[in-house]
Amino acid sequence: MATGFLTDTTVCIGCKACEVACKQWNQLPADGYNLTGASYDNTGHLSGTTWRHVAFIENPKKQRRLSGDVDLIALAEDVTETLPGNAELDGLGRWNFMSDVCKHCVEAPCQQACPTGAIIRNEFDNVYIQPDVCNGCGYCVPACPYGVITQVPNDGRAFKCTLCYDRQRDGLEPACAKACPTNSIMFGDVEDLKVIAAERVATLHAKGYDNAFVYGTPEVGGTGGIGGNHSKFILMDDPETYNLPRHPFMPQVKVKGAFVASSIAAAALTAVVALAFRD
Amino acid sequence: MSDISSEALAAGRGEQNGKVQTSHHPKTDPKQDEKKGYYGIPPIKRAHWTWQIPVYFWLGGITAGVALFTAVSKLVGKEDPAVTRLGRYFAVVSMILSPVLLIWDLGRPERFLNMMRIWKLRSPMSNQSWSLVAYGNVSGILMLKQAAEDGLLGRGGIARLVARLVPHRVLQVLALPLALFIGSNTGTLLSATSVPIWARNWMLMGPTFLASGVSTGLSFISLVLNLLRTGRKDTHHTLQRAEKVMLLVESGLIAASLARMSRWGKPLVTGKIGALFVGGTLIGGIAAPLALLSGKETRNKSMLTSVLVLLGGLAFRFAVVLAGRKSADDPQAYFSFTRGENAPQPGDKI
Ligand code: SF4
Repeated sequence: MATGFLTDTTVCIGCKACEVACKQWNQLPADGYNLTGASYDNTGHLSGTTWRHVAFIENPKKQRRLSGDVDLIALAEDVTETLPGNAELDGLGRWNFMSDVCKHCVEAPCQQACPTGAIIRNEFDNVYIQPDVCNGCGYCVPACPYGVITQVPNDGRAFKCTLCYDRQRDGLEPACAKACPTNSIMFGDVEDLKVIAAERVATLHAKGYDNAFVYGTPEVGGTGGIGGNHSKFILMDDPETYNLPRHPFMPQVKVKGAFVASSIAAAALTAVVALAFRD
Repeated sequence: MSDISSEALAAGRGEQNGKVQTSHHPKTDPKQDEKKGYYGIPPIKRAHWTWQIPVYFWLGGITAGVALFTAVSKLVGKEDPAVTRLGRYFAVVSMILSPVLLIWDLGRPERFLNMMRIWKLRSPMSNQSWSLVAYGNVSGILMLKQAAEDGLLGRGGIARLVARLVPHRVLQVLALPLALFIGSNTGTLLSATSVPIWARNWMLMGPTFLASGVSTGLSFISLVLNLLRTGRKDTHHTLQRAEKVMLLVESGLIAASLARMSRWGKPLVTGKIGALFVGGTLIGGIAAPLALLSGKETRNKSMLTSVLVLLGGLAFRFAVVLAGRKSADDPQAYFSFTRGENAPQPGDKI
């Protein structure tokens, strides 16, 4: 059975419980009190010591046109009909929160890059770094199409989300999913999650949110030879808004082609040098 | 009260164009007009590589060039003992220095042997480790023969046995593809990443690094022979001839690479990296040596040419690695790269 995450960003409230739960369970060190200064998000991105990261996106979709009295209760109750006084639902702008995590790619570029075999697929079909094998070559870091896997400077090795391998072995769900108060983070069999995702997107479409879609499929998010992701997301905006690539690719797809091209070049250069020996 | 205009009052109440602005946002959020992304934070992580890696790339290229010239001279029957000797000793020096540089770069250097746990054909890093092991061993045996011939192993029976038993012809030929692989794989290693400037140019990275490597290797031989005042006259002449053509091939491949990188190649030609690349590699490492090579051959000129080519090759590797850093740090480069079909795709014809 393959397990994975489904992160439904439409119900995320940005409480960061997942970030904290992840840090606590996995005993990850603090990253320091750094203020980004440009946003409400002071974590910034995933790293070797931050395996869940909540993105805070201020999303003023349209120009602010707020006229007349706004019925804030109607707004809060998710009323999609026209509001009194011609106020628009989107008038206040929308907060998008998204709890980012390792995508646990079906064909993982980090695993392909790893020369020591430290990165494996475990019995839950999750991408897992064996910390006792990793020698910190760092080649997985630029290989990851989502900027997830990162070396920890003082440690030297690469780290990322383990999908709580230890908890799963004990029959528990990952710490982030456990802590999430809105069930934005769902954990389970990827096949079940696929169905839940499809249903949720259909519901959102029926409510008029046409822009909802699943990220992490072979069509979007898990493209270019990656074959989809085991941790998927329900998004409401362009992937780039969440700092995610739309059509990422498996960087190793061209290694064979590059070898062929290099071999041809090697033969040609050998001929060039041989010709230089003519009298 | 009278000196405050009604406009300022309206603004103070949060009114604009006669409408109340109840949100704390300005009327039009400037963020909206900016290009897509998340507060400009890079969506991918760059490689951590410091100076050891470009220097290794340089060394690997020289190794390929030296091996190529040595092997070909043997194959065409114009072997110069001075070149063969240099080639055999240098290969071992390089195969000691290269792993040192690479292990130095590891986060956990004491675990370097874990590279030998598996062999993964799809990982250029794994192929690199194994090719270094293979080439290191072959060069070690060849050096033993050379040492025996040079009398470094004494005059005893062992030296004679080594000199006779080492199948140097077979090994020299075997060593050539390994060395050429090491030279080109330095480029392939970069291309098999998510970094736009490198990944975009996947097909030409290996060939370009190899051509540049061979030109530095030829220069290295020429420089050492000149410094030691050894080598036959025709060897020097052949080296210069080969160098000339190699520099032309290299510049052709660099031009094609820049064309292929297109907009994602910008970091290589702008700013400080651009200065290093254009000044150090294109002008200093290719154009100037070509000009120097076109005149009469003198020892001093030849040595200057060699030094320029070697430095140009080093500048090239530093420029490409640094440009990759910039490329990875640029969200727009990555997003434009992964939006359409610009990135390499499994189904691509080329
Ligand atoms: S998202 Fe990155 S770190 Fe996670 S499995 Fe995919 S390549 Fe590896």
